[in-house]
Amino acid sequence: MITNSSITVLVVDDDEMIRECVAAYLEDEGFTVFTAESSEKGLESVTSVHPHVCITDMRLPGINGDQFIIRAHQLYSGTRYLLHTGMLYSLSDELRLIGMTADDVLLKPIHDLSKLVARIRYLATDGGHHAVG
Amino acid sequence: MQSHAAELFFKSESSYRMLVESSSDIIYSRDKAGCFTYVSPAWTKNLGQLPSQVIGHTIGEFVHPEDQPACRKLLDGAVQVGQTGEYTFRFRQLDGTWRWHISRETPHIDGNGVMAVVGIAHDVTERHRIQSIMALTEKMVMVSGLAAGMAHEINNPLGAIMQHAQNIERRVSMDIPANVQAAEEVGVDLSLVRDYLEKRSIFSFIGHIRGAGVRASEIISQMLSFSSRGETGIATVDLSKLLDKVVVLAATDYEMKKQYGFRTLEIVREFAAEPLYADIASPEIERVLLNLMKNAAQAMAAPEMTREPRLTLRTRADEGMVVIEIEDSGPGMDETTCLRVFEPFYTTREVGNGAGLGLSVAYNVITGMHRGYIEVSSRPGEGSCFTIKLPVRGTL
Repeated sequence: MITNSSITVLVVDDDEMIRECVAAYLEDEGFTVFTAESSEKGLESVTSVHPHVCITDMRLPGINGDQFIIRAHQLYSGTRYLLHTGMLYSLSDELRLIGMTADDVLLKPIHDLSKLVARIRYLATDGGHHAVG
Repeated sequence: MQSHAAELFFKSESSYRMLVESSSDIIYSRDKAGCFTYVSPAWTKNLGQLPSQVIGHTIGEFVHPEDQPACRKLLDGAVQVGQTGEYTFRFRQLDGTWRWHISRETPHIDGNGVMAVVGIAHDVTERHRIQSIMALTEKMVMVSGLAAGMAHEINNPLGAIMQHAQNIERRVSMDIPANVQAAEEVGVDLSLVRDYLEKRSIFSFIGHIRGAGVRASEIISQMLSFSSRGETGIATVDLSKLLDKVVVLAATDYEMKKQYGFRTLEIVREFAAEPLYADIASPEIERVLLNLMKNAAQAMAAPEMTREPRLTLRTRADEGMVVIEIEDSGPGMDETTCLRVFEPFYTTREVGNGAGLGLSVAYNVITGMHRGYIEVSSRPGEGSCFTIKLPVRGTL
């Protein structure tokens, strides 16, 4: 049984309210959580931290969340992604190619963060490209 | 010589008569009291009443009550000031429906020196209908854009409210060792803190915050659907089967069953003899139809309902389009309500009985997503009929 503490999660969102409350919840659930307030900082964290799962907002200053995922995946391919978006969003072919499915698109606002926990665990374990070691 | 002059006179008289009598516009004269002294045959053709039913009566008897002040002003302007005036108003047809006319009245002094007015009324009902549709479309584009933009901006703070409420619940949970430890560090017993919060209903307040957030987010997601294009893709669907499916859905809906007695409604199906197919986003159209049936059932459950509740469902083909009609025998709506029913947040229901978004979502699904049309015709006391037209070969 893999414990949550062995799973590293990166939360990328420019909205401090959202970033902090998602991070606080995930920390309480025992995950190791990092945060980034921009796509640039997010790219740095992906390369330095190698998170198992990254939750990114769609609307980020600079590049959008979907473009951020594509760039981050080029830098390090071991991270799985969840895209947090306010609008209905169809996954692009590029995102499907790196293994994302419709279940990885989280429609705002998330009513119940416990569902996020299940998805993160799934991605970081058997649903992910690599198992947590 | 005399007979030639008479012949010319009669010839010109008959030419003028021919001009007046064959005009598709209504030509009329009124005396200064406003009573009709002449109406051309177009009146009977366009509106139904015979000249004998019109001549000697005032124009007010045939004009929509809302248009009467302007109609009187037109007459006063012609009789008192001698000015020509123009105004658009509604004339009543024999069957009680209204036809929009643009009428131009000119003052005229007859052979006896008596002041009168001569008028020409042109039927502009169709033009008026198209203008109303265009005005509604423009309004909907603007309001829907605004609603979607607002919804988007509200999403983040709303998410933060709900998620922080959840975090507060978690931070006083005994299940998280960090909570117990932090409580110990400040010298309190977490289980006693929980007892206090329970005693003062604070957990229930937090539950309410989350519940209210969920309700608000449901409204937000409907508002966002104004600007979305549907994610489901299109399929070829048999419309009669689709309507039957929605009737089954409606019959199992709790609200429909308990509050509006949907199962006791008489449902009349007037479907086209041959199956009618259309390429549509089926789940979206199902939601629209369910919503229309819900509104119909709700209208027919109204206390002022005097007739037997009956829901009539029709399908037919019409010039490359398929038509679905949902008609109820409810109390109907006045003209102002008909014009505004598709506006977001417009509702005649009491506060708390729905946000007034159902029909604007329907409008967006039909016109925006499917390039179709949706219209309503209704009159107080005579039920309402929603007509949906969809392209047979639809694309999203």
